[in-house]
Amino acid sequence: MRSTVGTRVAAAVAIALATACAPPASGNGASGFGTTRVVARSTEVRADGRAYDGAPPVIPHALGGPCTTCHDDDGSAIAGIGMAPASPHGSVGATGSFRRCQQCHVPATTPDLRVASVFKGLPQGAWKGGRATPGAPPTLPHTLQLRENCLACHAGPASRVEIRTSHPERARCRQCHVPE
Amino acid sequence: MMQRRAFLKMAGVAVPAVAAYSCADRDEADRLMANAAPIDRASVSWAKAPCRFCGTGCGVMVGVEQGRVVAVRGDEASPVNRGLLCVKGYHLPGLLYGEDRLLYPQKRNADGSFSRISWDEALDLVASKFKDTLAAHGPEAVAMYGSGQWTVFDGYAALKWVKAGLRSNNIEPNARLCMASAVSGFMTQFQSDEPMGCYQDLDRGDDFVLWGNNMAEMHPVLFSRILETKRVKPATRIVDIATRRTPTTDYADMHVLFKPGTDLALANGILHLLVAQGRINQAFINENVVFRRGIEDLKAIGYGCFDDQKERYTFEDVAKPSSLAELTTFLADYTPEKVSEISGVPVQQIHALAAIYGDLPRGTVSLWCMGVNQHVRGTWMNNLITDLHLITGKICRPGANPLSLTGQPSACGTAREVGTSSNRLPADMVVTNPEHRAEAEHIWNVPAGTISAKPGPHAVDMFRALKRGDIKAMWIQTTNPWVTLPNRSRFERTPNDGKFIVVSDIYPTPTTAMADLILPAAAWVEREGVFGNTERRTQQWNQLVDPPGEAREDAWAIIQVAKRMGMGNLFPWPDDNWHEPMFEEYRRFGVGHGKDLAAYAQLKETRGMVWPVVDGKETFYRYTAGYDPYVKKAQGAHFYKAVGYGEKAAFWLRPYHPPAESPDKDYPFWLTTGRVLEHWHSGSMTRRIKQLHQAVPAAYLEMNRADAEEMSLKKGDKVKIVSRRGSLELVVEVDGRGRPPRGTVFVPFFDEEKLINLVTLDAMDNISKQPDYKKCAVRLERA
Repeated sequence: MRSTVGTRVAAAVAIALATACAPPASGNGASGFGTTRVVARSTEVRADGRAYDGAPPVIPHALGGPCTTCHDDDGSAIAGIGMAPASPHGSVGATGSFRRCQQCHVPATTPDLRVASVFKGLPQGAWKGGRATPGAPPTLPHTLQLRENCLACHAGPASRVEIRTSHPERARCRQCHVPE
Repeated sequence: MMQRRAFLKMAGVAVPAVAAYSCADRDEADRLMANAAPIDRASVSWAKAPCRFCGTGCGVMVGVEQGRVVAVRGDEASPVNRGLLCVKGYHLPGLLYGEDRLLYPQKRNADGSFSRISWDEALDLVASKFKDTLAAHGPEAVAMYGSGQWTVFDGYAALKWVKAGLRSNNIEPNARLCMASAVSGFMTQFQSDEPMGCYQDLDRGDDFVLWGNNMAEMHPVLFSRILETKRVKPATRIVDIATRRTPTTDYADMHVLFKPGTDLALANGILHLLVAQGRINQAFINENVVFRRGIEDLKAIGYGCFDDQKERYTFEDVAKPSSLAELTTFLADYTPEKVSEISGVPVQQIHALAAIYGDLPRGTVSLWCMGVNQHVRGTWMNNLITDLHLITGKICRPGANPLSLTGQPSACGTAREVGTSSNRLPADMVVTNPEHRAEAEHIWNVPAGTISAKPGPHAVDMFRALKRGDIKAMWIQTTNPWVTLPNRSRFERTPNDGKFIVVSDIYPTPTTAMADLILPAAAWVEREGVFGNTERRTQQWNQLVDPPGEAREDAWAIIQVAKRMGMGNLFPWPDDNWHEPMFEEYRRFGVGHGKDLAAYAQLKETRGMVWPVVDGKETFYRYTAGYDPYVKKAQGAHFYKAVGYGEKAAFWLRPYHPPAESPDKDYPFWLTTGRVLEHWHSGSMTRRIKQLHQAVPAAYLEMNRADAEEMSLKKGDKVKIVSRRGSLELVVEVDGRGRPPRGTVFVPFFDEEKLINLVTLDAMDNISKQPDYKKCAVRLERA
């Protein structure tokens, strides 16, 4: 156990360092398996996998073992592959309602469409929460539905730079940040 | 240790993240945010609607911006799904936006092509064709084929037009192909359709017994409710009784594999042990149960004239009284050893199942859907599952009930409650009962004798009649029979054959390809609607966006045709406000009869209401003291709708009969068909949604690894599947999401390019007349 953890931490550090030195994300699907370069996901990469803002992302890699082996509460760095983001759903759901990840997340097995679609989803971007006064903690600009684990998106090497927190060590986010 | 591990992992992530959060990153973040187009979240409005797909009836919040649906969220206020959806639900908006939406009426030309015409021309054409056919050939020559996806408005307008306007009983829903056995199950036992329990049983039950039900894929949100129950109460057990391994099996505490069709023997085997071991609730039986027996002679019953190509199947069961003593004798044939021999289920597992049902204090919830309903003895199987609950008194008790799941969003609300079938009227009434006809004629304000007493043909016979030419004009709405009918080649049609077929739909399908006239329909939130789900919950939604082009809602088209045929008196409401008055008229059928629907105004304000709704209050447990206002007893159950059984429930003795067709040396494999999580029904909507199509782009053939190796086949190879009726080429899947046992293959039916219904059998249930899509004999050839 201890040695596994050590390896994973080491890999995370190595990858994160690589991240820090990497050029800005270019939206070329770098979060997929099979790449060795790991960069923070850009908003475009994030949007690629979703039908609209708030939609469950599709699975961008081939299926392997149980999803939560890598996508657990804090995410896992996988040497030579990349950062498997944490599950934003929190650990309670993972043993109950949300046990079956593929109820909502499915892989794409083909890039083709059978019939073209004119659907335009709610755009995805990064937008700021309001602040009561300059310097006050921003409010949460989005719903917390299925996003109980804030650090899944706001911390870690896979997080988008725009929304990355400068203080992930203060684990109780909602002590200061409240929904709008 | 876990805490330490979490801390270390956290550190591994957080430290570099902090390290990475340099001034350069802050600058980069500021640059990205500055360039981001401002998104005005306030421009999106959110409103409630039920999901368009399955019978679960999940609530969604629909996000609309500039007249288009741009997002959905699981509705946290919905008691059905509490904010969670499945992958189909999350991708709902896409169903409206396939590039090939039907936008205007189109009429077939003599050369087979279609030309655009106006709605006025189209409605005139339908009216004149139906009028002429009625005049020349009578009411048995016209027909309407609808759907469990019809809103209550569509179904009610269609029913009233056909039964009171055309004076015909030739109206059927596609629900005949999916829920009919559940209906006849409930009707034969309680003389009223639909379950006594509700989704709260999924939270309150101790053991969940799934009969032929791949719930993880087919009713995923309900399955996740069971998984949550198991998290909270780890002693919860899930039993998967099935003919193949599915994603559901992964979560089961016990997997019971049986040979196709032998569930009848298995249920009798469990009953045998319950009676032999005295694990029955004698007090409940004395107070609430009568015993009945029907016709059991295999020769007299048959399988619905699939083999001899006869055209009409009219078997009717005859009930005779029976008793617990007779049941004991009857069950002597079903010893665990004998049942094990028939079903392939180990004796030990039969004992384990009897121990679950026979543990009287524990709450057992039985769940089933198409595995039981699409069965040549589907009504019997529905009866037997409910029998297990009646004999143990595990019924009308929160957390202990049989709960029949439905596949279509309004199979219950429309097909079953409105009664859009050849023999039914709203609120459990039937056309063969003179009092029921009189009641309907009174509410509809039409002359006595308007409604015909002669039931029309059931769905499969209706299409046989169309093929024969006995039916000459048919209107098909919201369904795709030329994909979903079994043994489809029996129902092929060449357009311009002198018949007239109108198809209302939202996309081109193999059914619109058979049409003489295509009408473009408004879908889901492009119109106002009401659906009724599995748990008797009636859910209303408002129109949220305009339909594309000239698409209109189906009910509107029916009303316009009726008006052109001089039947406008049936729909006396103003063109700009007819939904609420129509619903209030329909509601009169059930009020005071234990089928009381909520008032329309209340439906608009709530996340649905579970009927009977009396004094504005829902009834979660029907026939149950303390819950159902119609039950006057202080405790226990009262089956007040079953007047014919002295207000008790009927326990039916039902034997095992073999399937209509079983594997032999020429056709050595079982074929079973069904759905996959990502696709819904014939795929006309889900295959136009990017994420769903890309996940499962085509149908495939699932087979056992050992069978594949024996034929030198591997995943991805092509194989030809051949039955006595047709053949099809498919790609082999081995060790995929479903894993059939040796000798069984599975093919999903969503793919109109890989039409498995060319291979299936049109054998049907003797009582419900629902076809059996789950078992026929096939052989495989290397392609």
